[in-house]
Amino acid sequence: MTPAGSLLLAKDLRKSYGSTPALDGAEFSIHPGEVVAVMGPSGSGKSTLLHCLAGIVTPDSGSILYNGRELSSMKDAERSALRRSEFGFVFQFGQLVPELTCTENVALPLRLTGVRRKEAERTALSWMERLEVEDLGNKRPGEVSGGQGQRVAVARSLVTSPRVVFADEPTGALDSLNGERVMQLLTEAARSTNAAVVLVTHEARVAAYSDREVVVRDGKSRDMMLEHSV
Amino acid sequence: MNRLRDLTLGARFALTGGREGWTRTLMTAIGVGLGVALLLATTALPGALSARDARDNARNDYGAGQETPAAADTMLIARTDTVFGGDDVRGRLVQPEGDRAPVPPGLSALPAPGTMVVSPELRDLLKSPGGKLLRERVPYKITGTIGDAGLLGPHELAYYAGSDSLKGHKTLSSNRIDIERIKTFPDKKPGEPIDPILALLIVIIFVVLLLPVAVFIAAAVRFGGDRRDKRLAALRLVGADSRMTRWIAAGEALAGSLLGLGLGTVFFLIARQYVGEVTIARLNVFPSDLNPSVALALLVGVAVPAAAVGVTLFALRGVVIEPLGVVRTSVPRPRRLWWRLLLPVVGLGLLIPMFDKGRDTGFYNQTQVIGGTVLLLIGVTALLPWLIETVVRRLGGGGVGWQLAVRRLQLNSGAAARLVNGIAVAVAGAIALQMLFSGIEGDYVKSSGEDTARAQLVVPMSSNLSKAEQERREENLKAVPGVTGTTTLGNVGLHTPNPDDQKYVEMAVGDCRALREVGELPSCKDGDVFVAAGGEFGGDGAAPGAKLLFESAWVGDRKGPETPYTVPRDARTVQARPDPLGTKRGGLLATPGAVRKFTKISVYYTTYVTTRPGDGTAADRVLNAAWRDDPFTRARALNDVKTATKFSGVRRGLYIGAAAVLMLIGTSLLVSMLEQLRERKRLLSSLVAFGTRRTTLSWSVLWQTAVPVTLGLTLASGVGLGLGAVLLRMVGRPIHIDWPSVAGMVGIGGAVVLLVTALSLPPLWRLMRPDGLRTE
Repeated sequence: MTPAGSLLLAKDLRKSYGSTPALDGAEFSIHPGEVVAVMGPSGSGKSTLLHCLAGIVTPDSGSILYNGRELSSMKDAERSALRRSEFGFVFQFGQLVPELTCTENVALPLRLTGVRRKEAERTALSWMERLEVEDLGNKRPGEVSGGQGQRVAVARSLVTSPRVVFADEPTGALDSLNGERVMQLLTEAARSTNAAVVLVTHEARVAAYSDREVVVRDGKSRDMMLEHSV
Repeated sequence: MNRLRDLTLGARFALTGGREGWTRTLMTAIGVGLGVALLLATTALPGALSARDARDNARNDYGAGQETPAAADTMLIARTDTVFGGDDVRGRLVQPEGDRAPVPPGLSALPAPGTMVVSPELRDLLKSPGGKLLRERVPYKITGTIGDAGLLGPHELAYYAGSDSLKGHKTLSSNRIDIERIKTFPDKKPGEPIDPILALLIVIIFVVLLLPVAVFIAAAVRFGGDRRDKRLAALRLVGADSRMTRWIAAGEALAGSLLGLGLGTVFFLIARQYVGEVTIARLNVFPSDLNPSVALALLVGVAVPAAAVGVTLFALRGVVIEPLGVVRTSVPRPRRLWWRLLLPVVGLGLLIPMFDKGRDTGFYNQTQVIGGTVLLLIGVTALLPWLIETVVRRLGGGGVGWQLAVRRLQLNSGAAARLVNGIAVAVAGAIALQMLFSGIEGDYVKSSGEDTARAQLVVPMSSNLSKAEQERREENLKAVPGVTGTTTLGNVGLHTPNPDDQKYVEMAVGDCRALREVGELPSCKDGDVFVAAGGEFGGDGAAPGAKLLFESAWVGDRKGPETPYTVPRDARTVQARPDPLGTKRGGLLATPGAVRKFTKISVYYTTYVTTRPGDGTAADRVLNAAWRDDPFTRARALNDVKTATKFSGVRRGLYIGAAAVLMLIGTSLLVSMLEQLRERKRLLSSLVAFGTRRTTLSWSVLWQTAVPVTLGLTLASGVGLGLGAVLLRMVGRPIHIDWPSVAGMVGIGGAVVLLVTALSLPPLWRLMRPDGLRTE
């Protein structure tokens, strides 16, 4: 697929941590409703690519256009606002606030955008129903299983109806059965809202849920679909 | 044996657990080390103060025999103490009368006339521009430095100056009581034994200061507890039973505390090097004074590791460590109140039997006092977790920051309570002490009677001064910049003629304006004489028409003849009034015209000086002017409050201790908070990733601290007021609450917490960086 009409488009991204280069001219694009898997071995730079695309990390050089706006020219507060309202996130672990109940965790992004508590929790519950975790509402993350926790995290990533969901190894800590269920629910829910999903994984089984794969190796990216079409 | 093995294993984990293990052990060690350093300092404090007293005694020149004849081993010594910028300056003029004259401690030889040896602090002051005014009063050439043995502390201002003119002043007629002839430096008269109420106060101060340190150490050995619990779960997985895991955990704490003992000793030794630089409440000591007593140091060495093991075992009693994790992440069962209440109740039970002892025998059973106070204050640490849990369970609503904080507190109120325990105990103790201090202050702090509104300085003139010389000196004082007025009163002694029933009569001589300072005069003109009634002394034989004799004046070393005096029959009787020094003299008040013909009488003049309000250096300029006219002047500033030395010493000790404890607790709070933040690094990063504002998280941290702190300080105020009331009843004083000081204590406690929160914000923001999301 060509970059034309991309919702998120990155060109020639470079990023180093100290003397270690993490990204070395990486490219990326994604369209609304598309699921793109970013694959590669450990330390290849895939998480750094995701962090740059989400505006969490500023690249050393290169360009990231979201909906036609250059991310690197935005101030930190603008990028935070963007993440609150337009992006959703699922990480491998350590993402649910342990002291909040599952419902409160899912409602949290809405509350951060100023939605009133009751309304936020009502919306959260409807997403929890879709993710089949509505019965965990009053439980805390420490009281639920890993698979359940990850589904709660997916519900949280979708609760603001984001245009892009960033998922960094969302099934990394789950067994294959739970992992597949989480992926199924995530991709279904994203497609139903026309949200794009940037899916970082090193598992082919998980990448199979995507429409397209981008492989990152030594900080450089290769779009597998483009190569196949060539 | 098995326990020893488990302890050793735990200690090994603490030291070989990689970076993570080391960090935790180091944090514990630093925390324990700070506590140990403070404990060592406290055990060394009594020794430091007695070393200071010993040096004070060794250089004492009061109480030498008045009649010592001049000899090769005698020396004349004159006290020329002064005050500069509010600081005391100890001054001595010395004149040896032979080659074996005694040399004061800290000096290798007596200074030659016109030269002086000075304390290092005085040398620096005199060399600095700020010491210019003092230089006028201490003009001698500096030829040496007083050694430590001759000084109370490194910051003392002191000098010994050589003189060759003391002998001329050492005559009976000179009335120089400040010049003494000494052979040796005599021992100080033993002071009065410390009274039981002060002893009680000291005991309470030690409990109040040391208990927060103990609470702090208990908190420090639990630093990094969450991660440790995860490690313990892993041990359960490979076959350790729950008892073993507890002892392994205790072993980890033991290693941390032993390392802490070592670090504490190092901290103490480092701090000791700098102790000379610190002056608290006008007290400072030499580093060499600060030597902990061996027995107490050994006690610290044994008690701290034992406490580390005990606290860990106690803390883990409610934690179920399972092979797959620690069952504490679920909501814990509610805390029970009954045994928590038992502690303060038993404490009260121990103290109540001692009510009113201060009025009767004054005997307090110290063990009972310590036990009761400790239990009452420990009650704060027992009640606080229950209080926080009970209150936060009912909290809800609010913004995201508030919700995050409240939920965190609901999940783990114990950690919050641990954070605040130390400060709550310190504040409770401080409030109780403050109440006790205020209650008994009246016994130890008395008004000196000096009226600083009427005069700011008093300049006594030497005797045998001619009227002309007195006037010249008064003019000199008037000419000092900043002086707004002077009043001079003369003082003459008379007595009734009957040798069998001789009564002393005081006569004040001065112009009408000056006499109004000592009597309520209806009208006055030169030549008038008044009889002052209602005076404290000197008025017995004074009446209109009474025949009296002026006391003999000294002529050289012999007394002159007594001059008869008849009080005029028309002398009016007026009411005596206290002079600016607070002395209400009776007797006669005479204008100069009334005594002009009596040229042989000896008048002692005293000039009262008023200065411009707000002129900080006027007093020093007046003292300089007085010194120029009389190097032995006893001119001084008036002070309207007089505090008993021992009481002010105790209060001073309290301030020193309280400052150290607050610093320690602040550090403890900071370490605990940073540790909590570090544990949540990944979570904080992910919260920021999905757009959480920094301010939201900052508010969450603030609420997370503010809620338990508010509850802790409320509880501390209650317990503190209760303990204060009990202590006041013990010393037989009415219960009175000094609300401003309670508010002050609570405010200081709150300020420490706010400061710590502010200091933890930069690390919080740093932890919110996306680096926390990186796993590789």
